[in-house]
Amino acid sequence: MLATTLEARELSKSFSGPPLFSNLSFSASSGLVAVSGRNGSGKTTLLKILARLVRPGAGSVRVLQASREVGGDERRRAVGWAGPDLAFYDDFTAQENLVFFRRAAGLGAGAAAIRGRLERVGLEAVADRSVGAFSTGMKQRLRLAFALLCDPPVLLLDEPSAGLDDRGRARLAEVVAERRRVGPVFLASNDARDFESPDQVIELAGR
Amino acid sequence: MTDNGSARSLARIWAICAKDAAQEARRRVALASVLFFAATALTLVSFAVGPSGFARQERGPLHAALLWILLFFSTATGLPRAFVREEESGTALALRTVAPATLVLAGKTLFNFLLFLAIAAVTVPGLGILLSWEVASPGAMAVVLVFAGYGLTVVSTFLSALIARAAQKNVLFVLVCFPLLVPLLLSSIAATAAAAEGSLASMPLRVILAYDGAATCGAYLLAAAAWEE
Repeated sequence: MLATTLEARELSKSFSGPPLFSNLSFSASSGLVAVSGRNGSGKTTLLKILARLVRPGAGSVRVLQASREVGGDERRRAVGWAGPDLAFYDDFTAQENLVFFRRAAGLGAGAAAIRGRLERVGLEAVADRSVGAFSTGMKQRLRLAFALLCDPPVLLLDEPSAGLDDRGRARLAEVVAERRRVGPVFLASNDARDFESPDQVIELAGR
Repeated sequence: MTDNGSARSLARIWAICAKDAAQEARRRVALASVLFFAATALTLVSFAVGPSGFARQERGPLHAALLWILLFFSTATGLPRAFVREEESGTALALRTVAPATLVLAGKTLFNFLLFLAIAAVTVPGLGILLSWEVASPGAMAVVLVFAGYGLTVVSTFLSALIARAAQKNVLFVLVCFPLLVPLLLSSIAATAAAAEGSLASMPLRVILAYDGAATCGAYLLAAAAWEE
């Protein structure tokens, strides 16, 4: 996996009224980056900006691989995102959902590759069940599998432990421990248990 | 783009089209509502106008206009679902993270175009039977339907992306769609009437082809602005 750096420069964002955050700059190539702050402080918005799902009011986000800025599909595959409002096709099974998203990303969707990702989050036994019949915790596990879909060096996880049982939390901790060694893992949470010895902390004060 | 890159893009477009088709096959919401609308409108038109209400020379343009009114409103019933469904179900975020707007638009346009052809395959013979409308040149009619249908589909799908996050989506879709489609619909009616008489009208067909080209370029250039935040 290529050494990858996610770099944010002077990010600002406001929806109405005073800014959620302003002049936020940071950079990470590996390790756990804890994004903390009270409710409404902009954690979800910040992670969506890093995932390019929301435009910042000002500032820029760059993904660098071997000191070269990547864009387009390279960038899409370099950054894996999962958040509370990430939803899947209820009519499709977990496996069908992941197969579709891998194909839409322009990657092969062999059965072994998909099964491997479902096993990683403990969903292999329900791979052929419709997502519409999934519990909150199962959907949360599928979100984690989605974030890992393209083997991205950068992971952006927003409230990844919400709704998870103890086994689910353990799986999540394993994934974070493994991935923080090879690339940056940005994790936003209100639960301090999610941040096991973070390498960097981004504290959002909110407005 | 390299050949490999083009092949991969086509595979991604096909994956998005196949996903929409699989969803439609399981739910049958768009197809059922569109075909129901087309069948109801066809029946009403056949009773109101009937096969012999007008002189033969007057029937061509009238039947052509009726056909395109039917096709326009039938597609307006089903095509806006393309992007609206993704927004309403929350799957738009997942789709945005894996594929660029241009490929998503292309995949959904392809699915909508196939849906349009399915509607036309029911509507055209239905209108022919109920109104005793004889088409002298079925080949010319097929050419007009394919090219005009493509333009109708591209514009409708693009507008679906544009209005997906707006309030009052369906009203907005028809209000914005109609003025944009008037040039295409007028040319399509003229070309259809000519095809029914046995000729391929070159001027309306040229307008349709130019419209298709402009609509494709516009949709491609503005796809990201319409679909991404």
